[in-house]
Amino acid sequence: MKTTGTTQKTSEEKIWEPKIIAFLCNWCSYAGADLAGISRIQYPPNIRVVRVPCSGRINPYFIIKSLQRGWDGVLVSGCHPGDCHYVSGNLVARRKFAILKDLMEYVGIEEGRLNFSWISAAEGERFSKVVKTVVEKVKTLGPAKRIVKR
Amino acid sequence: MTKSKILEKDRLKDFIDELSKENEVLAPIKTNNYFQFKELSQGEEISLDYQNTKQPPKEVFLPQTEVLFTYRTDEEEIKIKASPSQKEKRVILGIRPCDARALVLLDRFFSSGDYKDNLYLEKRENTAIIGLACNSPLSTCFCLPLGGSPFGGEGLDLLLKDINDKYLIETITNQGEKLIKKVKWLKDATKEDEEKAKTKKEDAENALKNALTVKGLKNKLDSMFEAPLWDQIHRKCVGCGVCSFLCPTCTCFDVLDEMTPSGGRRVRIWDTCQFPLFTKEASGFNPRPSSKERMRQRIMHKFNYFPKDFEVFSCVGCGRCIQACPVNLDIREVITTIMAN
Amino acid sequence: MAQIQDSIREIAEKLLKEKKVDIILGYEKGTLPLRTTPCFVKNPDDVAKLVWNDCCDIPLSKYLIDMTQKAGVIAKGCDARSIVVCINEKQIDRDNVVIIGVPCQGIIDRKKIEAELNGKEILEAEVTDDRVLIKGKNFERTLQKKSYLSDSCVTCKHRNPPVSDIMVGEKVPEQDQKEEFAEIMKIEAKSPDERWAFFSKELEKCIRCYACRNVCPLCYCSECFVDKTMPLWFGKTNDVSDTMIYHIVRALHVAGRCVDCGACSRVCPMDINLRALTKKIEKIVKDRFNHEAGLSLEETPPLGTFKLEDTQEFIIE
Repeated sequence: MKTTGTTQKTSEEKIWEPKIIAFLCNWCSYAGADLAGISRIQYPPNIRVVRVPCSGRINPYFIIKSLQRGWDGVLVSGCHPGDCHYVSGNLVARRKFAILKDLMEYVGIEEGRLNFSWISAAEGERFSKVVKTVVEKVKTLGPAKRIVKR
Repeated sequence: MTKSKILEKDRLKDFIDELSKENEVLAPIKTNNYFQFKELSQGEEISLDYQNTKQPPKEVFLPQTEVLFTYRTDEEEIKIKASPSQKEKRVILGIRPCDARALVLLDRFFSSGDYKDNLYLEKRENTAIIGLACNSPLSTCFCLPLGGSPFGGEGLDLLLKDINDKYLIETITNQGEKLIKKVKWLKDATKEDEEKAKTKKEDAENALKNALTVKGLKNKLDSMFEAPLWDQIHRKCVGCGVCSFLCPTCTCFDVLDEMTPSGGRRVRIWDTCQFPLFTKEASGFNPRPSSKERMRQRIMHKFNYFPKDFEVFSCVGCGRCIQACPVNLDIREVITTIMAN
Repeated sequence: MAQIQDSIREIAEKLLKEKKVDIILGYEKGTLPLRTTPCFVKNPDDVAKLVWNDCCDIPLSKYLIDMTQKAGVIAKGCDARSIVVCINEKQIDRDNVVIIGVPCQGIIDRKKIEAELNGKEILEAEVTDDRVLIKGKNFERTLQKKSYLSDSCVTCKHRNPPVSDIMVGEKVPEQDQKEEFAEIMKIEAKSPDERWAFFSKELEKCIRCYACRNVCPLCYCSECFVDKTMPLWFGKTNDVSDTMIYHIVRALHVAGRCVDCGACSRVCPMDINLRALTKKIEKIVKDRFNHEAGLSLEETPPLGTFKLEDTQEFIIE
């Protein structure tokens, strides 16, 4: 079966594929991703999902540590503001994410490595679109070099 | 030993070029607003007209981060690879006598007893030290009362003495002799040169005569572990590591294991008794719970415990801790308070 | 300046004698020129030790954390703001502290003077209203004080403590600060590659001494994130990656709390421009949430609250 997003040349010439870690909130974004799968909507296989109960659970350490470990991109997704399963987790998180993104980009981490979105449980199609957008963005940035500790 | 030689100041670059033929030369280089010992690149010009480096030369032999060994777990067998040995021949030019003396103290620490720290000792064996005597000690210097001297040769292979437009080079060790013999165009020092150097030495030592009184300090501290004065001394300390990290004789390090994509490595990093985590035990109990116990430890170690083991104070009077302490906690003031107790 | 010093001594003596406080936290003369050192006075007869001048640079609020005694503390504008933040975060009991507010016209940055003197040692220094007279071995220099103030003081908007129990002396006029973030904007104008190179170069000097953290009035955690081992988040080596992360995360932790006292940059032994990070954090919080730390005992910390209409232009559509 042909999968979109990967073009395998000969075994000696593998094109680099970005590895993106996706932190998805259980109630909305993870369910949305699940819906995409059930609906057989194709999206790039570059993401690895980490399920969290709420986007508010996400400690900026997770994101920074992922970058240090060599993940080429990070996607964080939660419920739309106003729809959080825990009422306001995503609203508290939104401020944290804003500051983190601003500071990381200020320090020189390329714009496009840190990505944030709100995806609801009904938005399977949108989930796949967001993943495609992120993967394409990170592909143009190349493998992660900055802040990576080998 | 070879008779003292003369190096004209305008031939310093030639001298360094000679040394560079067979050695990597490190000298004080100004980056930002301070000096650090750095490897000289080909033809780089330096001036020895400086006070002292921000960090002591210990960071050349005991770097802040040093990999002890690495291991790979991504192949059939686990493979452990020790850190490559430091066989490069080096010369450090321009070390002050206090810092050189500190290296001797560090040597005692890293080679005492059955265990020899090869990572440190190897670097020391392969590095020659050329010192620069201090004509004008800083107001924060106090090497003399502690057993050092601004013109001291302890720990040095050669000692440069600044006599205005030239340096008088005193040969101290065989290694120094070997080095100096290679620079064949150095003239012999005249009696006049020697006299000039002697005067400079006397002036410098005079300036330090009364820098601090430490007579009987070690014995006095024997009975002062529970003295109430420790409650006052520590009060303003904020518990950072500046004093220990900039100290030429402080050696404490922590050993950590880190994961890497292919396996891992063990590193050692500088540590300090001033951090609360230094003595925190696995149970959660900390025998030095507050800065009072930690400050007491620092002073007792430097002026009582170390002298008991090694006959000398573990402080060479370089004054870096005094200049750099964020809250101006002055070790001289601490000593004076103890002596007056 | 001398008047304020006398007033401080009078106030301290009164508070101690009337047992309104058990201890006074102030500054006394340091052992080096242009330095003062924190001073703890318990006896009203000792108040003559207290000094006030433009070298009173370390924020004293640090010493209030975990203090069980009632304390009177000398506080400049930034120091008072840091005390307010600590009170709002329930680290200092409002009833346990008497804030002796002192309007401040700026602290001298010793490093700037040392750079000007190109390595020559300062043996004596005298500071007047507008000049700094330096004496060294075989030289004398007179410098315009204005040019040697700490960068944080040049852009300071709160020279008068916004909250205090006693105000010493007259309020000073506040500076007009349209250019408050000029230095940060210069860095923002660089390309990401240039910025990465700039920060890597600055932060590779770091020796992980934690002077910045320990002198910061808002870094009061009993266990710092760098010391955490289960789980171990970030390394303690001076590998550029570990060091950059330490400084980035520390800046994140003071978001909405930093009062730009400038102590971190001033005490760094390796002269790292730490304010390039902390001032940016201040700018982010100001631009996004219109918040400045420590101005009122009724304020809510910006990261402890939210608005439905918070900015979210960074969210992928």
